[in-house]
Amino acid sequence: MEEKEAMIQLRGVCKRFPQKKDTIEVLHNIDLDIYKGEIFGIIGLSGAGKSTLVRCINLLERPTAGQVFLDGMELTSLGEKELRVQRHSMGMIFQQFHPLMQKTALENVMFPMKISGVPKEKAQERAKELLELVGLSERMLSYPAQLSGGQKQRVAIARALATEPKVLLCDEATSALDPNTTAGVLSLLKDINERLGITIVVITHEMSVIQKICSRVAILDGGDIAEIGSVEEIFRSPKTQIGRELVFHDGEKKEAYVGHVPYCYRTVFKGDSANEPILGNMMIEYGAPVNILSGNTRNIKGGVFGQMILQFPEDAEVRGKMIQYLRDRKVEVEEVEYV
Amino acid sequence: MFEQGMLLLVGEAFLETLFMTLVSTFFAYVIGLPLGMLLVVSDKDGIYPIVSLNKIFGVIINFIRSVPFLILLVAITPITKIVVGTVIGPKAASLALLVAAGPFVARLVESSLKEVDKGVVEAAQSMGASPFQIMTKVLLPEATPSLLLGFAIAVTTILGYSAMAGICGAGGLGAIAINYGYYRGDKEIMYVMVVLLVLIVQVFQELGTRISRHSDKRL
Ligand SMILES: Nc1ncnc2c1ncn2[C@@H]1O[C@H](COP(=O)(O)OP(=O)(O)OP(=O)(O)O)[C@@H](O)[C@H]1O
Ligand SMILES: [Mg+2]
Repeated sequence: MEEKEAMIQLRGVCKRFPQKKDTIEVLHNIDLDIYKGEIFGIIGLSGAGKSTLVRCINLLERPTAGQVFLDGMELTSLGEKELRVQRHSMGMIFQQFHPLMQKTALENVMFPMKISGVPKEKAQERAKELLELVGLSERMLSYPAQLSGGQKQRVAIARALATEPKVLLCDEATSALDPNTTAGVLSLLKDINERLGITIVVITHEMSVIQKICSRVAILDGGDIAEIGSVEEIFRSPKTQIGRELVFHDGEKKEAYVGHVPYCYRTVFKGDSANEPILGNMMIEYGAPVNILSGNTRNIKGGVFGQMILQFPEDAEVRGKMIQYLRDRKVEVEEVEYV
Repeated sequence: MFEQGMLLLVGEAFLETLFMTLVSTFFAYVIGLPLGMLLVVSDKDGIYPIVSLNKIFGVIINFIRSVPFLILLVAITPITKIVVGTVIGPKAASLALLVAAGPFVARLVESSLKEVDKGVVEAAQSMGASPFQIMTKVLLPEATPSLLLGFAIAVTTILGYSAMAGICGAGGLGAIAINYGYYRGDKEIMYVMVVLLVLIVQVFQELGTRISRHSDKRL
């Protein structure tokens, strides 16, 4: 496998906000490498510092300490003017889209080119191509107020791509959209990544978004990177409490669970093992039942996964054997707190 | 009701008022527009924060705005005398109009520009827009409908000021209303002037509202 080259590097990035009395530190000493051409996810609960982190990448927020590199160039050492030039190679999209309300879709896409001094004719031509790419050619002359949320985000994506950036930063880009529209926007992002080779950073609080398009993911918790790895790895065996929480409870309502359930294990079946009656065979072999508390299957970049929360028998010996049985068949088994 | 001469007088006063209002409004914007932009840009959350400068201008503007126009008109007569050479007549009045209306317009402009969604400004920053580009290519265009509404408010307010300026011999409808209505007790003429002033305000306000609505693409 070829050596992976970093597109974005954060080194010891700290961000503190001065408050009235003291200062709060929102990011603690973050080190992070995002490779060229990958779709990298950053997930975390609300207030974890995701937005602050991504805003530190294009220096909308200047880190209090640490360095930020883009394609080998240190951004944190640049002056405002040079930084503005570098920002042409970083597109960004937002949860609330932020279109220019008094400009048509076409003018919106032309806007960043106007800023960077591209001649008008050329800008218009390219804007039309980009609107075609995001599937909005027909709505070229519509104003944002006449477009749906999903369409506005497509305009925003086209606009972010206008200056041919190396990186596209997406801060909760699909959080204001319904599931269908979200799926459309996500597949557009994936398509852009594959076709144009642009490195994409996706910020989200939904595991499902990460699963759909990301290759690697970092879990941000209280201003620290709790875990980082391939999406498959983290999904199969999250090592931290926050990781488990994000992986298990995504899309499910926590309030629905009542009381503490003992002997709960999370099992992950990969690919074809999801089709074999492993569980059935196991129960027959050991003559004891297991209780299925919840289950689902998911499509992740690495393939199809089935995950189940199982309650094993009280008998410690049988339980141990069952777990071994599953592990022998390449099923991830891990004790979880199920409440 | 009116004889020929009176009609002429009123017509002339009408034009005088219009002229005084529009010219003062123009100059009020010459001062107020950049000042309003400066207030927005230099704000602590602005695109180029210079807090001390912002504070200083804020205080000066508030100071002038807190003095009622009629008092300002009289209070600045020493300055008027030096600058204009006389303290009566349209020229003397226009200085007072300018001093009062400039800061007023600055606040109108400021509030219009601050209505623009912060996120849009941030998006522009993320594209590498300079503070100057953000002002000219984002804030001003995005705030245009609101600026136009503000313009209508400015015109009608300055019209009111100019009528008051009639007291110090600035001429116009206000002067006739005061001279005939107040000093000579000719109520009829006074009411005619009031109706004319009301009409002008209505026309400008309606025009402003319509143009603003027409220019707004958010609807
Ligand atoms: N400009 C600021 N001044 C002070 N505190 C801030 C500022 N911006 C963010 N914070 C604080 O930093 C913390 C992290 O905020 P951030 O917006 O990065 O979280 P997030 O992970 O993006 O959350 P969400 O999912 O809700 O968007 C929060 O506690 C927030 O209050
Ligand atoms: Mg956020």
